[in-house]
Amino acid sequence: MSAEEAKSAMIVLRELQDKIAQDAWDAKNRGEKAGWCASNFPQEITTAMGIPVVYPENMGAAVGAKGGGQRMCEHAEGLGYSSDLCSYARINLAYSDLKECQELEIPFPDFLLCCNNICNCMIKWYENIALELDIPLILIDIPHLEGESCDEDRVRYIRAQFDDCIRQLEEITGKKMDYDRLREVMEISQRSSQAWLRAVGTMENTPSPFSGFDIFNNMAVACVGRGTVEAAEAFEQLADEYEALAAEGKSSFKGEEKYRILFEGIACWANLRTTYKGLQSRGINLTATIYGPAFSFLYQNLDELMAAYAMVPNCNCFERELELRVHDGLKNKVDGAIFHMNRSCKKWSGNLYEMERQFREITGVPTMVFDGDQSDPRCFSEAQYITRVEALTEIMESGKEATRR
Amino acid sequence: MSDVKRMLAELQGICNNPKAQLDAALEREQKVVGVLPYFCPEELVYAAGMLPFGLWGAEMQTSLSGRYYPAFTCSLLHTALELGLQGKLDGLSAIMVPMCCDSLKCFGPNWKYGVGSVPVIDVAWAQNRKIPAGEEFTRARFRAVLAKLEEVAGKPVSDEEIAAAVAIYNANRAALRAFSAAAAAHPDEVSPLERCEAIKAGYFMDRAEHTAKLQALTEALNALPKGSGKPLRLITTGILADSPALLGILEEQGIAIVDDQVAQESGFFRTDVPATADPVAGMSQRLAMLEGCSILFDPEKERGRELVRLAQGADADGVLWIMAKFCDPEEFDYVPVKRMLDKAGIPLLAVEYDQQAGSFEQARSAIEAFAEMLRG
Amino acid sequence: MADLLTLGMDVGSTTSKCLILRNGEEVLASALVPAGTGTSGPSRALEEALASAGLAREDVAVLTATGYGRSTFPGADYVVSELSCHALGAHALCEEARTVIDIGGQDAKALRIGPDGKLESFLMNDKCAAGTGRFLEVMARVLEKDVSDLAEMDEQAEGIVPISSTCTVFAESEVISQLAKGVDLCSLVKGIHASVAVRTAALARRLGVVPPIAMTGGVARNAGVVHALESELGTSIRVSPLAQMAGALGAAIYGYRKGSESA
Repeated sequence: MSAEEAKSAMIVLRELQDKIAQDAWDAKNRGEKAGWCASNFPQEITTAMGIPVVYPENMGAAVGAKGGGQRMCEHAEGLGYSSDLCSYARINLAYSDLKECQELEIPFPDFLLCCNNICNCMIKWYENIALELDIPLILIDIPHLEGESCDEDRVRYIRAQFDDCIRQLEEITGKKMDYDRLREVMEISQRSSQAWLRAVGTMENTPSPFSGFDIFNNMAVACVGRGTVEAAEAFEQLADEYEALAAEGKSSFKGEEKYRILFEGIACWANLRTTYKGLQSRGINLTATIYGPAFSFLYQNLDELMAAYAMVPNCNCFERELELRVHDGLKNKVDGAIFHMNRSCKKWSGNLYEMERQFREITGVPTMVFDGDQSDPRCFSEAQYITRVEALTEIMESGKEATRR
Repeated sequence: MSDVKRMLAELQGICNNPKAQLDAALEREQKVVGVLPYFCPEELVYAAGMLPFGLWGAEMQTSLSGRYYPAFTCSLLHTALELGLQGKLDGLSAIMVPMCCDSLKCFGPNWKYGVGSVPVIDVAWAQNRKIPAGEEFTRARFRAVLAKLEEVAGKPVSDEEIAAAVAIYNANRAALRAFSAAAAAHPDEVSPLERCEAIKAGYFMDRAEHTAKLQALTEALNALPKGSGKPLRLITTGILADSPALLGILEEQGIAIVDDQVAQESGFFRTDVPATADPVAGMSQRLAMLEGCSILFDPEKERGRELVRLAQGADADGVLWIMAKFCDPEEFDYVPVKRMLDKAGIPLLAVEYDQQAGSFEQARSAIEAFAEMLRG
Repeated sequence: MADLLTLGMDVGSTTSKCLILRNGEEVLASALVPAGTGTSGPSRALEEALASAGLAREDVAVLTATGYGRSTFPGADYVVSELSCHALGAHALCEEARTVIDIGGQDAKALRIGPDGKLESFLMNDKCAAGTGRFLEVMARVLEKDVSDLAEMDEQAEGIVPISSTCTVFAESEVISQLAKGVDLCSLVKGIHASVAVRTAALARRLGVVPPIAMTGGVARNAGVVHALESELGTSIRVSPLAQMAGALGAAIYGYRKGSESA
């Protein structure tokens, strides 16, 4: 077995993420046009056209995780941005002004690709970047669903913008869309998505073969790199590894898996260690998160692709969002659920209390809500978090005792 | 009491007691549909013979809405939900909720599970509003809203009825524009609060009736000599500028509002629905023509340019931004729009506003200092 | 021409300040009472200042009220916002200052002033208490110290324990958990000061910092906050011994200008 083959999928994925970032730098240095892109923008377009893009949201998470969130947010506040705004946006706006960031830098863009299927905050954020850097902004507007499913009007509207986007990108970058290549990228994306689903699907095993916090680290590639063969292969390897562990009843989770929980919301990147340790040290494993099943984007053709992007988390009606969590929570046999009231995200937080109540009523498992933020450590209180985790643990334990008796 | 004061008082009464308007409509067996901001197809409600009823929250303390929205949601939605939860909006046949900002996307479910008795009609419109596909999407979804309104009304609505409603709305917009200009010319007669109340009353009454009252008021105003005082001339911008306490401070400081770029005010009346064969298409086209609101996709920040134009056109001394606390779009717009105003040499004061605040002492200090500064 | 005596009354949220000026320049007396609007503080400050100058109320030609409780102070000839008064006062205390940072009990403000002391633009903190005198009071209470002890503790700090929470409630629990860990109290105080400085610096940057900077208001007496702010902004800050009286001084100067105009 060569050293190359011996690498675990986690390492392969991390290297792949670094490679995606490096490719963008290399392309930029060669003089190619590169862009900044919203995480849930249809990646099929840029992958098929071979246009390098980087993701400010990933930068926001990484800078938060590496301890730069507070400094960058404070700089944005000095520019006049309210501390109530999304911390990813503040970090990125600060970077656009400073042109440097010691934790992580991404190449500056020649154009912006925006999509508001996850939130409308993206639109205002990108408007300001476009103005600040004086570059074109291409928006694919995906309105929040009115009902359970994606209607034909939406498919037509998104499709027209999809086509417009390709035309504009051809003009900006000088590269042509090859529609055979697009079909190929769509197929590869399906392969990645299926592998991703298979990997996260193993969380239903007891114990789960891995710590659910790993999903937070892998989803970046799942989200943005899934149109490449390397990603498809890495996810297939990941799924194989997890399945093998599960077959042996083993897990890479450190310690005994005493309790299984659903974690709702974006990770607290700036407090990742505290939030992880607070659970892991009590034998609590994360076995359900919306990042698992929901970021799979399944489709057979272009129209279905449009609909898939209109049905990403935070774009669906409440009932469907709830159903996704309940289904995942029950399937993965959670004993409790933790809801992150994320100060940055108005969309994710605006129905969180109701989501928590209904989830608790339907599943019958205890739940708790804590205050935090995706990348601004100033909105998180360790004391509050730990107290609530302890209380939740006690309730989960008394529930288990009752079952044992 | 002068004619002008009497007419202003009448509109003030309507503005300050929307519940009476709601009850009166129910009394005459007219259905009422609540309309949240921003840019709902109100004309369709009117065309269906129902009364569109503006839901802009209220200055109040909330106690129930915190069960649904976190504390960092804007007060407009907190208090609008609170009114529903307290049963103050019982009697509405439906509410229309446009999903055009992140907190509004969450309003429908919070209302549905909290209030329950009044059904929600989701409204979607295109942010990519200037491309043909965007216009077509908005038109098609407004038609879908119409189908739901027909169900609520229990009767079909013809295109002729829609066209007639659009005409009534456009006439109302014209009357509002004329009134706003007359108020600006007569700051001694119309205080900032009275100006606001006369405009806002339209959200709770029949638009045709509102037009008639406004026209009489404007005529009476224009018959008076222009004001002789030397007020400070400000343009307001923001989502809401309807706080009696805040507007009272403006009056105390001798400040006149000479034009506005406020969603609740000119956001309604600056732009008409263009005439089109399909009247619903015209309503969609209006969205493409609108400017000056942070809720709209605005990559060139036309809002800032418009504000500069308005300030220069009205010979204003400065701009007062009533900054809605926890409103993402407003808070994002602040930085580039302030830069544009700075560049044009137009002084700006931003005052944070929260309908649940209760106290306006900091705002008072800031407005006083701004007035002292502008007067030199 | 007879002397023109003017009195400035700064009715703050937690303190009342009174200052008497002769001919717009010479400070005859000043008084500070640690009780603000709605208490007996304002009238006590007035009496103290008059007594110390050996004057009666009617000897004063013009009384100008400013501060949070300015509109409720009886008998004022003029009522002026504290922003204009702080600009005038800071200019009198430090003629070169172009930027004034004022941290009071409830508000933090950044002011730009012209060469003549005129207010050119300003910004105030958002509603949150972090970055105000109130924040320091809450933290002092948690540490079982008096606010006036904080500066000295800061000076004795060996290191710094950073406080990251912006919400006062969260910061309080953060401080409590640091206390439980047994960290050096003085280093913790330094961290608290740095947190106030960061918030205030952001406000100043939003306004645009034009040096030299002067600081006024009660918190200016806390050298720890001043130093933290200096290092955050990378420039020195001037603090007059009368910094806390800047509002009252500005009010008295305002009264003098009005009084001499009408005379």
